[in-house]
Amino acid sequence: MTRHRISLEEFHRMVEAGVFPEDLRLELVEGELLEMSPIGPKHAFVVRKLTTLLAPLALENKALLSGQNPLVVGQSELYPDVVLLRPHSDGPDRHPQGQEALLVVEVTDTSLRHDLSVKVPLYAQGGVPEVWVVDREGRRVLVHREPREGGYKEVRTLGPRDTLAFMGVEIPVEELL
Amino acid sequence: MLRYRFTAEGFHRMAEAGILPEDARVELVEGEILTTSPMGKKHAHVLNTLVDLLSPLRGQAVISIQNPLVLGPVTEVYPDLALLKPPRTRYRDRLPEGEDVLLLAEVADTSLDYDLTVKLPLYAKAGIPEVWVVDLVRDRVYVFRRPTGEGYGEREALEGGELEALGLRVPVKEVLP
Repeated sequence: MTRHRISLEEFHRMVEAGVFPEDLRLELVEGELLEMSPIGPKHAFVVRKLTTLLAPLALENKALLSGQNPLVVGQSELYPDVVLLRPHSDGPDRHPQGQEALLVVEVTDTSLRHDLSVKVPLYAQGGVPEVWVVDREGRRVLVHREPREGGYKEVRTLGPRDTLAFMGVEIPVEELL
Repeated sequence: MLRYRFTAEGFHRMAEAGILPEDARVELVEGEILTTSPMGKKHAHVLNTLVDLLSPLRGQAVISIQNPLVLGPVTEVYPDLALLKPPRTRYRDRLPEGEDVLLLAEVADTSLDYDLTVKLPLYAKAGIPEVWVVDLVRDRVYVFRRPTGEGYGEREALEGGELEALGLRVPVKEVLP
């Protein structure tokens, strides 16, 4: 017996056929469907803060700002906490793809290992140019750049006194912890 | 991260919408979709033999071959053979469940481990009173009786002698290829 690996197409047809309960949030991670745990207040707080700080980029039409919406990377469909997409890469008939992203931010509480070992490599494979992992427990942000097969070439660790910068927006790490 | 478990209802919706792979034998085992490799000729032959040998029971049981059997909300399996409580019309509008089964038989070649460690406990939990597992590798038949919550209280490995199904005696040597 072999576990059936679910393809992206099958997953979308399942959603259309009403296979899943409405309120369920599922990520398709390399052929497996994973249930996302409910979002805690601290996590939501950080995501709101990030969204607010990155909003000027959306207002200036430099990027599309997408919060906790699907992003397709290869045969996986993930829900990053925050995504900045290239302008004009939007459309109502499909989900955006990894190579259309400018930046992905994941805020982790208990899922750090899963985010670093499973999701970050998928983002790299999907061509996402930059990924921030906000590790609140470790009081740091891991900045990943230069995607290649299997992971990112450059990984920098920023502490509470450092400042994140993206397309002219500056975010003190302290504000996210 | 929690793996999503499909329900039998969702599984049927997928089948109706033609989402599952048509060419594979598919089962739902504890919420996971599993595919089985095509059946070998030895397996098919032994199954035919079992049907022949058990056919005198036609009046006492419904002989169900590789048909669905529902074991709780997240499991739907296709045992090689099941003797079901009669009459046949009992299953016109619903699928049989564990309590409908009088005896269940599986033919195992490469799937022996899986049959014994995963499926057998499910059969026991569903209260299936007797299970035969024909082991094509070691040329023996395992007989399991007295289901408890987790397993079977009585187990035998027969290389000769007789099996007994609803009073019908079946020589083990005739079952083995």
